[in-house]
Amino acid sequence: MTNYDVVIVGAGPGGSIAAKEAAEKGLKTIFFERGRRPGEKNASGCGLGPRMWLDFDFMKELTPDECPSMRAGAAARNYFVNSEDEVSSYIMTRPTESVTYEPAKSFITMNVYRSEFDPWLAKYATDAGAELKTSTLIVGLLKEDDKVVGVIDERGEKYRGLVIGADGVISTVARESGLRTRWEQNQVTIVPQYDFAVSPEKIDDIMGDEALAVWWSSTFPAAYQVFFNDGFHIGLGNWMTWWDKNPLYYLNRCMNLKYFQRLVRILEAKPREFQCHLLPWLGYPNNTHTDNVILIGDAGGFPCPLEAEGIYPAMITARVSVEVAAEAISEGDTSKEFLSRFDEGWKKTSVGEDFETGPELASLWRALPFSPKENMSWLVPLISEVFGGIIDWSQPHGKRIRQVASQIKSYLPKMVPMLLKEILPLLTATLGEEKMELVTDPEKLLASMPELEKVIAQAFMIDDSDEEE
Amino acid sequence: MKVNVEDLVKRIPNTGDFISVDSEKCTMCERCLIVCVMNLWKRKDDAAYIVEDYQSRCLECGACYQVCESDAIRFRYPSGGTGIVYEKG
Repeated sequence: MTNYDVVIVGAGPGGSIAAKEAAEKGLKTIFFERGRRPGEKNASGCGLGPRMWLDFDFMKELTPDECPSMRAGAAARNYFVNSEDEVSSYIMTRPTESVTYEPAKSFITMNVYRSEFDPWLAKYATDAGAELKTSTLIVGLLKEDDKVVGVIDERGEKYRGLVIGADGVISTVARESGLRTRWEQNQVTIVPQYDFAVSPEKIDDIMGDEALAVWWSSTFPAAYQVFFNDGFHIGLGNWMTWWDKNPLYYLNRCMNLKYFQRLVRILEAKPREFQCHLLPWLGYPNNTHTDNVILIGDAGGFPCPLEAEGIYPAMITARVSVEVAAEAISEGDTSKEFLSRFDEGWKKTSVGEDFETGPELASLWRALPFSPKENMSWLVPLISEVFGGIIDWSQPHGKRIRQVASQIKSYLPKMVPMLLKEILPLLTATLGEEKMELVTDPEKLLASMPELEKVIAQAFMIDDSDEEE
Repeated sequence: MKVNVEDLVKRIPNTGDFISVDSEKCTMCERCLIVCVMNLWKRKDDAAYIVEDYQSRCLECGACYQVCESDAIRFRYPSGGTGIVYEKG
Protein backbone atom coordinates (compact mmCIF):
# COMPACT_ATOMS: atom_id res chain seq x y z
CA MET A 1 0.00 0.00 0.00
CA THR A 2 1.17 3.51 -0.80
CA ASN A 3 0.04 6.54 1.16
CA TYR A 4 -1.07 9.74 -0.51
CA ASP A 5 -2.86 12.85 0.65
CA VAL A 6 -5.25 12.76 -2.27
CA VAL A 7 -6.21 9.84 -4.52
CA ILE A 8 -8.11 10.91 -7.63
CA VAL A 9 -10.00 8.38 -9.74
CA GLY A 10 -10.13 9.62 -13.33
CA ALA A 11 -7.87 11.77 -15.49
CA GLY A 12 -10.47 13.69 -17.46
CA PRO A 13 -10.73 17.48 -17.08
CA GLY A 14 -12.04 17.17 -13.49
CA GLY A 15 -9.40 14.67 -12.38
CA SER A 16 -6.55 16.57 -14.02
CA ILE A 17 -7.50 19.93 -12.50
CA ALA A 18 -7.94 18.29 -9.10
CA ALA A 19 -4.51 16.64 -9.46
CA LYS A 20 -2.85 19.85 -10.67
CA GLU A 21 -4.20 22.05 -7.92
CA ALA A 22 -3.66 19.44 -5.20
CA ALA A 23 -0.03 19.03 -6.25
CA GLU A 24 0.40 22.82 -6.35
CA LYS A 25 -0.80 22.96 -2.75
CA GLY A 26 1.98 20.52 -1.86
CA LEU A 27 -0.33 17.56 -1.35
CA LYS A 28 1.01 14.13 -2.31
CA THR A 29 -1.27 13.31 -5.21
CA ILE A 30 -1.97 10.41 -7.57
CA PHE A 31 -4.57 10.21 -10.33
CA PHE A 32 -5.69 7.21 -12.34
CA GLU A 33 -6.76 6.71 -15.94
CA ARG A 34 -8.23 3.43 -17.24
CA GLY A 35 -7.24 4.25 -20.83
CA ARG A 36 -3.66 4.09 -22.08
CA ARG A 37 -3.70 7.89 -22.01
CA PRO A 38 -6.22 10.47 -20.81
CA GLY A 39 -9.02 11.19 -23.27
CA GLU A 40 -9.00 7.93 -25.23
CA LYS A 41 -12.17 6.70 -23.52
CA ASN A 42 -14.04 9.97 -23.80
CA ALA A 43 -16.63 10.98 -26.33
CA SER A 44 -18.30 14.26 -25.71
CA GLY A 45 -19.87 16.93 -27.93
CA CYS A 46 -17.38 18.60 -27.56
CA GLY A 47 -17.14 22.31 -26.91
CA LEU A 48 -15.15 24.17 -24.29
CA GLY A 49 -17.12 27.07 -22.80
CA PRO A 50 -15.52 30.53 -22.65
CA ARG A 51 -15.90 30.66 -18.85
CA MET A 52 -12.90 28.30 -18.78
CA TRP A 53 -10.70 31.16 -20.08
CA LEU A 54 -11.92 33.40 -17.25
CA ASP A 55 -11.25 30.92 -14.47
CA PHE A 56 -8.20 29.02 -15.74
CA ASP A 57 -5.27 31.18 -16.84
CA PHE A 58 -3.47 28.41 -18.67
CA MET A 59 -6.35 28.06 -21.17
CA LYS A 60 -4.73 30.82 -23.22
CA GLU A 61 -1.86 28.39 -23.83
CA LEU A 62 -4.19 26.07 -25.77
CA THR A 63 -3.06 26.45 -29.39
CA PRO A 64 -3.40 24.40 -32.59
CA ASP A 65 0.19 23.20 -32.02
CA GLU A 66 -0.96 21.53 -28.83
CA CYS A 67 -4.42 20.65 -30.04
CA PRO A 68 -4.71 20.44 -33.84
CA SER A 69 -8.45 19.68 -33.78
CA MET A 70 -9.29 23.15 -32.39
CA ARG A 71 -11.98 25.11 -34.19
CA ALA A 72 -13.80 28.08 -32.69
CA GLY A 73 -17.57 27.66 -32.66
CA ALA A 74 -18.02 31.36 -33.43
CA ALA A 75 -21.54 31.18 -34.83
CA ALA A 76 -24.34 28.67 -34.48
CA ARG A 77 -26.91 27.51 -36.98
CA ASN A 78 -30.34 26.59 -35.67
CA TYR A 79 -32.24 24.37 -38.09
CA PHE A 80 -35.94 23.84 -37.41
CA VAL A 81 -37.25 20.48 -38.62
CA ASN A 82 -40.99 19.98 -39.00
CA SER A 83 -43.14 16.85 -38.65
CA GLU A 84 -42.47 15.98 -42.31
CA ASP A 85 -38.71 15.85 -41.69
CA GLU A 86 -38.17 19.05 -43.65
CA VAL A 87 -35.98 21.94 -42.55
CA SER A 88 -38.71 24.56 -42.46
CA SER A 89 -36.61 27.46 -41.16
CA TYR A 90 -33.08 28.24 -40.16
CA ILE A 91 -31.58 30.96 -37.94
CA MET A 92 -27.90 31.78 -37.53
CA THR A 93 -26.69 33.36 -34.30
CA ARG A 94 -23.32 34.56 -33.03
CA PRO A 95 -22.24 35.94 -29.64
CA THR A 96 -24.62 38.84 -29.08
CA GLU A 97 -23.90 42.46 -28.18
CA SER A 98 -24.74 41.83 -24.52
CA VAL A 99 -21.82 39.40 -24.13
CA THR A 100 -19.29 41.13 -21.88
CA TYR A 101 -15.84 39.58 -22.22
CA GLU A 102 -13.26 37.96 -24.47
CA PRO A 103 -13.06 35.23 -25.63
CA ALA A 104 -16.86 34.90 -25.24
CA LYS A 105 -17.29 37.75 -27.75
CA SER A 106 -15.32 35.70 -30.28
CA PHE A 107 -16.79 32.23 -29.86
CA ILE A 108 -19.64 30.35 -28.21
CA THR A 109 -17.52 27.23 -27.74
CA MET A 110 -14.00 26.09 -28.62
CA ASN A 111 -14.34 22.67 -30.21
CA VAL A 112 -11.63 20.08 -29.54
CA TYR A 113 -11.25 16.32 -29.61
CA ARG A 114 -10.83 14.89 -26.14
CA SER A 115 -7.98 12.65 -27.33
CA GLU A 116 -5.95 15.85 -27.68
CA PHE A 117 -7.41 18.09 -24.98
CA ASP A 118 -7.37 15.67 -22.04
CA PRO A 119 -3.68 14.69 -22.33
CA TRP A 120 -2.78 18.38 -22.71
CA LEU A 121 -4.60 19.15 -19.46
CA ALA A 122 -3.17 16.13 -17.62
CA LYS A 123 0.35 17.34 -18.39
CA TYR A 124 -0.23 20.43 -16.25
CA ALA A 125 -0.99 18.08 -13.36
CA THR A 126 2.08 15.89 -13.86
CA ASP A 127 4.25 19.00 -14.35
CA ALA A 128 2.95 20.22 -10.99
CA GLY A 129 4.16 16.99 -9.41
CA ALA A 130 1.08 14.76 -9.40
CA GLU A 131 1.66 11.10 -10.24
CA LEU A 132 -0.43 9.77 -13.16
CA LYS A 133 -1.08 6.04 -13.46
CA THR A 134 -2.55 5.07 -16.85
CA SER A 135 -4.01 1.75 -18.06
CA THR A 136 -5.18 1.30 -14.49
CA LEU A 137 -8.75 0.46 -13.57
CA ILE A 138 -9.88 1.24 -10.04
CA VAL A 139 -12.30 -1.52 -9.08
CA GLY A 140 -13.03 -0.85 -5.43
CA LEU A 141 -12.54 1.28 -2.38
CA LEU A 142 -10.24 0.45 0.48
CA LYS A 143 -12.25 0.40 3.71
CA GLU A 144 -11.41 0.26 7.40
CA ASP A 145 -14.20 -0.06 9.98
CA ASP A 146 -16.63 0.39 7.11
CA LYS A 147 -15.13 3.78 6.23
CA VAL A 148 -13.43 4.57 2.95
CA VAL A 149 -9.70 5.17 3.36
CA GLY A 150 -8.48 4.77 -0.23
CA VAL A 151 -8.85 2.83 -3.49
CA ILE A 152 -7.90 -0.58 -4.90
CA ASP A 153 -6.93 -1.24 -8.53
CA GLU A 154 -7.69 -4.38 -10.52
CA ARG A 155 -4.31 -5.87 -9.67
CA GLY A 156 -5.07 -5.52 -5.96
CA GLU A 157 -2.72 -2.56 -5.41
CA LYS A 158 -3.93 -0.28 -2.62
CA TYR A 159 -3.62 3.51 -2.47
CA ARG A 160 -4.51 5.31 0.72
CA GLY A 161 -5.75 8.90 0.85
CA LEU A 162 -8.73 11.20 0.58
CA VAL A 163 -10.68 9.96 -2.47
CA ILE A 164 -11.87 12.32 -5.18
CA GLY A 165 -14.22 10.54 -7.57
CA ALA A 166 -13.69 12.05 -11.02
CA ASP A 167 -14.61 8.81 -12.73
CA GLY A 168 -17.52 9.93 -14.83
CA VAL A 169 -21.15 9.06 -15.21
CA ILE A 170 -20.94 5.39 -14.18
CA SER A 171 -18.79 6.13 -11.16
CA THR A 172 -17.17 3.26 -9.30
CA VAL A 173 -16.37 5.64 -6.46
CA ALA A 174 -20.04 6.68 -6.16
CA ARG A 175 -21.20 3.07 -6.22
CA GLU A 176 -18.62 1.60 -3.85
CA SER A 177 -18.95 4.44 -1.34
CA GLY A 178 -22.72 3.98 -1.18
CA LEU A 179 -23.42 7.45 -2.58
CA ARG A 180 -25.28 6.13 -5.64
CA THR A 181 -25.91 2.72 -7.19
CA ARG A 182 -27.34 4.24 -10.36
CA TRP A 183 -29.00 7.48 -11.41
CA GLU A 184 -32.74 7.97 -11.48
CA GLN A 185 -33.74 7.28 -15.09
CA ASN A 186 -34.74 10.93 -15.56
CA GLN A 187 -31.36 12.19 -14.30
CA VAL A 188 -29.19 10.76 -17.04
CA THR A 189 -29.18 10.78 -20.83
CA ILE A 190 -27.78 8.45 -23.48
CA VAL A 191 -25.97 10.18 -26.31
CA PRO A 192 -24.91 8.34 -29.48
CA GLN A 193 -22.84 10.35 -31.93
CA TYR A 194 -20.96 9.98 -35.19
CA ASP A 195 -17.72 11.67 -36.10
CA PHE A 196 -17.34 12.56 -39.79
CA ALA A 197 -14.05 13.37 -41.51
CA VAL A 198 -14.08 16.58 -43.59
CA SER A 199 -11.19 18.56 -45.04
CA PRO A 200 -10.53 21.80 -43.14
CA GLU A 201 -10.74 23.79 -46.41
CA LYS A 202 -14.23 22.46 -47.14
CA ILE A 203 -15.42 23.44 -43.66
CA ASP A 204 -13.89 26.91 -44.06
CA ASP A 205 -15.53 27.41 -47.46
CA ILE A 206 -18.95 25.98 -46.75
CA MET A 207 -19.54 26.63 -43.06
CA GLY A 208 -17.32 29.70 -42.62
CA ASP A 209 -17.29 30.39 -38.90
CA GLU A 210 -20.67 28.71 -38.39
CA ALA A 211 -19.03 25.82 -36.60
CA LEU A 212 -21.97 24.79 -34.42
CA ALA A 213 -25.48 23.71 -35.27
CA VAL A 214 -28.54 22.53 -33.43
CA TRP A 215 -31.20 20.59 -35.32
CA TRP A 216 -34.38 21.44 -33.39
CA SER A 217 -36.89 18.88 -34.50
CA SER A 218 -40.48 17.67 -34.31
CA THR A 219 -39.47 14.07 -34.98
CA PHE A 220 -36.28 13.46 -32.97
CA PRO A 221 -34.70 14.99 -29.83
CA ALA A 222 -32.62 18.08 -30.70
CA ALA A 223 -29.37 17.01 -32.39
CA TYR A 224 -26.09 18.93 -32.13
CA GLN A 225 -23.46 19.30 -34.82
CA VAL A 226 -20.03 20.47 -33.74
CA PHE A 227 -17.25 21.21 -36.24
CA PHE A 228 -13.61 20.55 -35.47
CA ASN A 229 -10.61 21.44 -37.60
CA ASP A 230 -11.00 18.38 -39.84
CA GLY A 231 -14.37 16.87 -39.01
CA PHE A 232 -17.64 17.14 -37.17
CA HIS A 233 -19.78 15.36 -34.61
CA ILE A 234 -23.47 14.78 -35.08
CA GLY A 235 -25.22 13.41 -32.02
CA LEU A 236 -28.33 13.58 -29.90
CA GLY A 237 -29.58 12.44 -26.54
CA ASN A 238 -32.52 12.20 -24.21
CA TRP A 239 -33.26 10.95 -20.72
CA MET A 240 -33.44 7.18 -20.21
CA THR A 241 -37.18 7.45 -19.57
CA TRP A 242 -37.86 8.83 -23.04
CA TRP A 243 -36.85 6.16 -25.52
CA ASP A 244 -39.53 4.09 -27.24
CA LYS A 245 -37.07 2.95 -29.93
CA ASN A 246 -33.33 2.56 -30.13
CA PRO A 247 -31.53 5.93 -29.76
CA LEU A 248 -29.72 5.21 -33.01
CA TYR A 249 -33.04 5.16 -34.88
CA TYR A 250 -33.54 8.82 -33.96
CA LEU A 251 -29.96 9.84 -34.74
CA ASN A 252 -30.22 8.13 -38.14
CA ARG A 253 -33.48 10.01 -38.72
CA CYS A 254 -31.55 13.27 -38.38
CA MET A 255 -28.76 12.04 -40.63
CA ASN A 256 -31.32 11.02 -43.26
CA LEU A 257 -32.81 14.52 -43.54
CA LYS A 258 -32.44 15.70 -47.14
CA TYR A 259 -30.90 18.91 -45.86
CA PHE A 260 -28.33 17.01 -43.78
CA GLN A 261 -27.54 14.72 -46.71
CA ARG A 262 -26.96 17.75 -48.90
CA LEU A 263 -24.50 19.11 -46.35
CA VAL A 264 -22.70 15.76 -46.21
CA ARG A 265 -22.40 15.75 -50.02
CA ILE A 266 -21.08 19.28 -50.42
CA LEU A 267 -18.72 18.88 -47.46
CA GLU A 268 -17.62 15.50 -48.90
CA ALA A 269 -17.95 14.24 -45.33
CA LYS A 270 -17.12 10.60 -44.54
CA PRO A 271 -18.25 8.73 -41.41
CA ARG A 272 -15.09 8.13 -39.35
CA GLU A 273 -16.03 6.99 -35.85
CA PHE A 274 -19.13 5.97 -33.91
CA GLN A 275 -19.35 6.74 -30.21
CA CYS A 276 -21.86 6.52 -27.41
CA HIS A 277 -21.82 7.83 -23.85
CA LEU A 278 -24.12 8.57 -20.95
CA LEU A 279 -24.40 12.10 -19.63
CA PRO A 280 -25.87 13.11 -16.26
CA TRP A 281 -28.40 15.92 -16.76
CA LEU A 282 -30.23 16.81 -13.61
CA GLY A 283 -31.85 19.75 -11.91
CA TYR A 284 -29.71 19.60 -8.81
CA PRO A 285 -26.69 17.55 -7.70
CA ASN A 286 -27.01 15.72 -4.40
CA ASN A 287 -25.07 12.99 -2.56
CA THR A 288 -21.82 14.62 -3.60
CA HIS A 289 -19.70 13.49 -0.64
CA THR A 290 -19.38 11.14 2.28
CA ASP A 291 -16.65 10.28 4.79
CA ASN A 292 -13.29 10.73 3.01
CA VAL A 293 -14.94 10.89 -0.46
CA ILE A 294 -15.90 13.78 -2.77
CA LEU A 295 -17.51 13.38 -6.20
CA ILE A 296 -16.81 15.97 -8.91
CA GLY A 297 -17.75 16.54 -12.56
CA ASP A 298 -20.03 13.98 -14.18
CA ALA A 299 -19.56 11.60 -11.25
CA GLY A 300 -21.19 14.23 -9.01
CA GLY A 301 -23.91 15.18 -11.51
CA PHE A 302 -22.53 18.64 -12.32
CA PRO A 303 -23.15 19.15 -16.06
CA CYS A 304 -25.12 22.36 -16.70
CA PRO A 305 -28.85 21.76 -16.08
CA LEU A 306 -29.89 23.56 -19.29
CA GLU A 307 -27.45 22.46 -21.98
CA ALA A 308 -25.29 19.89 -20.19
CA GLU A 309 -21.93 21.63 -20.64
CA GLY A 310 -19.75 19.26 -18.64
CA ILE A 311 -16.06 20.13 -18.84
CA TYR A 312 -16.18 23.54 -17.18
CA PRO A 313 -18.33 22.32 -14.25
CA ALA A 314 -15.92 19.38 -13.82
CA MET A 315 -12.94 21.74 -13.62
CA ILE A 316 -14.67 24.15 -11.22
CA THR A 317 -15.91 21.42 -8.88
CA ALA A 318 -12.40 19.90 -9.02
CA ARG A 319 -10.96 23.20 -7.81
CA VAL A 320 -13.46 23.43 -4.94
CA SER A 321 -12.92 19.78 -3.97
CA VAL A 322 -9.17 20.34 -3.63
CA GLU A 323 -9.62 23.48 -1.53
CA VAL A 324 -11.86 21.52 0.83
CA ALA A 325 -9.55 18.48 0.76
CA ALA A 326 -6.57 20.64 1.73
CA GLU A 327 -8.47 22.14 4.68
CA ALA A 328 -9.75 18.71 5.74
CA ILE A 329 -6.25 17.21 5.63
CA SER A 330 -4.65 20.07 7.53
CA GLU A 331 -7.34 19.91 10.21
CA GLY A 332 -7.22 16.11 10.33
CA ASP A 333 -10.95 15.78 9.72
CA THR A 334 -12.18 14.20 6.49
CA SER A 335 -15.63 13.32 7.83
CA LYS A 336 -18.76 13.71 5.78
CA GLU A 337 -19.73 16.64 7.97
CA PHE A 338 -16.46 18.47 7.31
CA LEU A 339 -16.61 17.70 3.60
CA SER A 340 -20.05 19.32 3.38
CA ARG A 341 -17.90 22.44 2.83
CA PHE A 342 -17.65 21.10 -0.72
CA ASP A 343 -21.37 21.75 -1.27
CA GLU A 344 -21.08 25.18 0.34
CA GLY A 345 -18.12 25.88 -1.93
CA TRP A 346 -19.47 24.91 -5.35
CA LYS A 347 -22.77 26.67 -4.65
CA LYS A 348 -20.81 29.95 -4.50
CA THR A 349 -19.26 29.42 -7.93
CA SER A 350 -20.51 30.18 -11.42
CA VAL A 351 -21.59 26.51 -11.58
CA GLY A 352 -23.62 26.93 -8.39
CA GLU A 353 -25.32 29.93 -9.94
CA ASP A 354 -26.47 27.75 -12.85
CA PHE A 355 -28.05 25.33 -10.39
CA GLU A 356 -29.96 28.08 -8.54
CA THR A 357 -32.56 27.66 -11.28
CA GLY A 358 -31.46 24.10 -12.10
CA PRO A 359 -34.81 22.29 -11.75
CA GLU A 360 -36.56 24.95 -13.87
CA LEU A 361 -33.85 24.87 -16.55
CA ALA A 362 -33.82 21.07 -16.76
CA SER A 363 -37.61 21.04 -16.94
CA LEU A 364 -37.61 23.59 -19.76
CA TRP A 365 -35.16 21.49 -21.76
CA ARG A 366 -37.32 18.43 -21.15
CA ALA A 367 -40.41 20.29 -22.36
CA LEU A 368 -38.88 21.61 -25.58
CA PRO A 369 -35.95 19.92 -27.35
CA PHE A 370 -36.52 16.66 -25.46
CA SER A 371 -40.25 16.58 -26.32
CA PRO A 372 -40.17 16.66 -30.11
CA LYS A 373 -43.63 15.28 -30.77
CA GLU A 374 -45.42 17.04 -27.92
CA ASN A 375 -43.99 20.54 -28.17
CA MET A 376 -41.51 21.02 -31.00
CA SER A 377 -44.29 19.90 -33.36
CA TRP A 378 -46.07 23.24 -32.79
CA LEU A 379 -43.05 25.38 -31.90
CA VAL A 380 -41.27 24.64 -35.20
CA PRO A 381 -44.23 25.68 -37.41
CA LEU A 382 -44.77 28.70 -35.15
CA ILE A 383 -41.17 29.85 -35.67
CA SER A 384 -41.47 29.22 -39.41
CA GLU A 385 -44.73 31.14 -39.50
CA VAL A 386 -43.10 34.14 -37.84
CA PHE A 387 -40.00 34.20 -40.04
CA GLY A 388 -41.39 32.74 -43.23
CA GLY A 389 -44.96 33.96 -43.17
CA ILE A 390 -44.30 37.45 -44.44
CA ILE A 391 -41.95 36.65 -47.29
CA ASP A 392 -44.85 35.41 -49.35
CA TRP A 393 -46.52 36.72 -52.50
CA SER A 394 -49.62 34.55 -52.37
CA GLN A 395 -51.97 37.26 -51.10
CA PRO A 396 -52.03 41.01 -50.53
CA HIS A 397 -49.68 41.60 -47.59
CA GLY A 398 -52.44 42.83 -45.29
CA LYS A 399 -54.24 39.55 -45.79
CA ARG A 400 -51.04 37.57 -45.20
CA ILE A 401 -50.51 39.31 -41.87
CA ARG A 402 -54.04 38.31 -40.84
CA GLN A 403 -53.43 34.72 -42.03
CA VAL A 404 -50.14 34.50 -40.12
CA ALA A 405 -51.75 35.94 -36.97
CA SER A 406 -54.61 33.49 -37.24
CA GLN A 407 -52.20 30.58 -37.68
CA ILE A 408 -50.17 31.67 -34.65
CA LYS A 409 -53.42 31.96 -32.69
CA SER A 410 -54.14 28.30 -33.47
CA TYR A 411 -50.98 27.32 -31.55
CA LEU A 412 -52.05 29.24 -28.42
CA PRO A 413 -53.94 26.34 -26.77
CA LYS A 414 -50.63 24.44 -26.68
CA MET A 415 -48.34 27.40 -26.22
CA VAL A 416 -50.03 29.05 -23.24
CA PRO A 417 -49.98 25.99 -20.94
CA MET A 418 -46.31 25.44 -21.84
CA LEU A 419 -45.46 29.06 -21.02
CA LEU A 420 -47.33 28.87 -17.71
CA LYS A 421 -45.78 25.56 -16.76
CA GLU A 422 -42.19 26.16 -17.91
CA ILE A 423 -41.42 29.82 -18.49
CA LEU A 424 -43.21 31.42 -15.55
CA PRO A 425 -41.51 29.22 -12.91
CA LEU A 426 -38.14 29.92 -14.57
CA LEU A 427 -38.76 33.67 -14.59
CA THR A 428 -39.99 33.52 -11.00
CA ALA A 429 -36.88 31.60 -9.93
CA THR A 430 -34.63 34.04 -11.81
CA LEU A 431 -36.34 37.32 -10.90
CA GLY A 432 -37.78 36.47 -7.48
CA GLU A 433 -41.45 36.53 -6.42
CA GLU A 434 -41.56 40.26 -5.85
CA LYS A 435 -40.32 41.36 -9.28
CA MET A 436 -42.34 38.61 -10.89
CA GLU A 437 -45.49 40.04 -9.39
CA LEU A 438 -44.57 43.35 -10.96
CA VAL A 439 -44.43 41.71 -14.37
CA THR A 440 -47.58 39.63 -14.07
CA ASP A 441 -49.87 42.06 -12.25
CA PRO A 442 -51.09 44.64 -14.83
CA GLU A 443 -52.06 47.21 -12.19
CA LYS A 444 -48.66 47.12 -10.50
CA LEU A 445 -46.93 47.15 -13.87
CA LEU A 446 -48.78 50.27 -14.94
CA ALA A 447 -48.40 51.94 -11.57
CA SER A 448 -44.62 51.57 -11.84
CA MET A 449 -44.65 53.21 -15.26
CA PRO A 450 -46.95 56.23 -15.08
CA GLU A 451 -45.92 57.41 -18.54
CA LEU A 452 -47.01 54.13 -20.05
CA GLU A 453 -50.32 54.37 -18.27
CA LYS A 454 -50.84 57.83 -19.73
CA VAL A 455 -49.96 56.71 -23.26
CA ILE A 456 -52.25 53.68 -23.06
CA ALA A 457 -55.02 55.85 -21.66
CA GLN A 458 -54.58 58.32 -24.53
CA ALA A 459 -54.51 55.61 -27.14
CA PHE A 460 -57.33 53.36 -26.02
CA MET A 461 -59.61 55.11 -23.59
CA ILE A 462 -62.68 56.73 -24.99
CA ASP A 463 -62.61 60.44 -24.61
CA ASP A 464 -65.64 61.76 -22.70
CA SER A 465 -66.08 64.47 -25.29
CA ASP A 466 -66.37 61.78 -28.04
CA GLU A 467 -69.23 60.14 -26.20
CA GLU A 468 -71.12 63.38 -25.90
CA GLU A 469 -71.04 63.97 -29.63
CA MET B 1 -27.58 7.07 -45.50
CA LYS B 2 -26.50 3.58 -44.53
CA VAL B 3 -23.58 3.41 -42.15
CA ASN B 4 -22.43 0.25 -40.42
CA VAL B 5 -21.50 1.45 -36.95
CA GLU B 6 -19.44 -1.67 -36.24
CA ASP B 7 -16.97 -0.56 -38.93
CA LEU B 8 -16.47 2.75 -37.15
CA VAL B 9 -15.15 1.48 -33.82
CA LYS B 10 -11.54 0.78 -32.75
CA ARG B 11 -10.64 -1.27 -29.71
CA ILE B 12 -7.86 -3.09 -27.90
CA PRO B 13 -8.74 -6.76 -27.24
CA ASN B 14 -8.40 -8.81 -24.05
CA THR B 15 -10.88 -6.81 -22.00
CA GLY B 16 -11.85 -9.77 -19.85
CA ASP B 17 -15.48 -10.24 -18.86
CA PHE B 18 -17.06 -7.01 -17.76
CA ILE B 19 -20.82 -7.45 -18.17
CA SER B 20 -22.94 -10.23 -16.76
CA VAL B 21 -26.61 -10.79 -16.07
CA ASP B 22 -28.41 -12.55 -13.24
CA SER B 23 -31.37 -14.05 -15.10
CA GLU B 24 -33.14 -14.78 -11.80
CA LYS B 25 -33.37 -11.03 -11.15
CA CYS B 26 -34.31 -10.05 -14.73
CA THR B 27 -37.94 -8.96 -15.03
CA MET B 28 -37.72 -8.70 -18.82
CA CYS B 29 -38.64 -5.02 -18.84
CA GLU B 30 -36.65 -4.85 -22.10
CA ARG B 31 -35.09 -1.45 -21.37
CA CYS B 32 -31.61 -2.88 -22.06
CA LEU B 33 -32.83 -4.15 -25.44
CA ILE B 34 -34.14 -0.71 -26.35
CA VAL B 35 -31.23 1.49 -25.25
CA CYS B 36 -28.19 -0.54 -26.37
CA VAL B 37 -27.08 1.26 -29.52
CA MET B 38 -25.03 -1.77 -30.57
CA ASN B 39 -28.02 -4.12 -30.11
CA LEU B 40 -26.06 -6.48 -27.88
CA TRP B 41 -29.01 -7.51 -25.69
CA LYS B 42 -31.43 -10.26 -26.78
CA ARG B 43 -34.39 -12.01 -25.28
CA LYS B 44 -34.56 -15.72 -24.50
CA ASP B 45 -37.56 -17.12 -22.67
CA ASP B 46 -38.14 -14.86 -19.66
CA ALA B 47 -34.76 -13.20 -19.41
CA ALA B 48 -32.46 -10.88 -21.31
CA TYR B 49 -28.98 -12.02 -22.26
CA ILE B 50 -25.99 -10.32 -23.81
CA VAL B 51 -24.48 -11.72 -27.02
CA GLU B 52 -21.39 -13.88 -26.61
CA ASP B 53 -19.06 -11.59 -28.54
CA TYR B 54 -20.07 -8.44 -26.62
CA GLN B 55 -16.46 -7.86 -25.54
CA SER B 56 -15.52 -7.08 -29.12
CA ARG B 57 -18.61 -4.93 -29.83
CA CYS B 58 -19.56 -3.03 -26.64
CA LEU B 59 -18.95 0.74 -26.46
CA GLU B 60 -18.70 0.69 -22.64
CA CYS B 61 -21.39 3.36 -22.26
CA GLY B 62 -22.97 1.57 -19.29
CA ALA B 63 -26.55 2.20 -20.47
CA CYS B 64 -27.62 -1.41 -19.82
CA TYR B 65 -26.41 -1.21 -16.23
CA GLN B 66 -28.05 2.20 -15.74
CA VAL B 67 -31.51 1.20 -17.03
CA CYS B 68 -31.65 -2.12 -15.14
CA GLU B 69 -33.89 -1.19 -12.23
CA SER B 70 -34.05 -4.82 -11.10
CA ASP B 71 -30.28 -4.80 -10.58
CA ALA B 72 -29.84 -7.87 -12.77
CA ILE B 73 -27.01 -6.44 -14.89
CA ARG B 74 -23.51 -6.22 -13.46
CA PHE B 75 -21.10 -3.89 -15.19
CA ARG B 76 -17.53 -2.75 -14.63
CA TYR B 77 -15.19 -1.22 -17.12
CA PRO B 78 -12.80 -3.45 -19.11
CA SER B 79 -9.29 -3.96 -17.76
CA GLY B 80 -7.11 -0.86 -17.86
CA GLY B 81 -5.59 -0.21 -21.29
CA THR B 82 -8.10 -2.42 -23.15
CA GLY B 83 -11.44 -1.97 -24.85
CA ILE B 84 -12.84 0.93 -26.82
CA VAL B 85 -10.52 3.66 -28.13
CA TYR B 86 -11.98 6.98 -29.23
CA GLU B 87 -9.54 8.94 -31.37
CA LYS B 88 -12.09 11.58 -32.36
CA GLY B 89 -14.30 11.74 -29.28
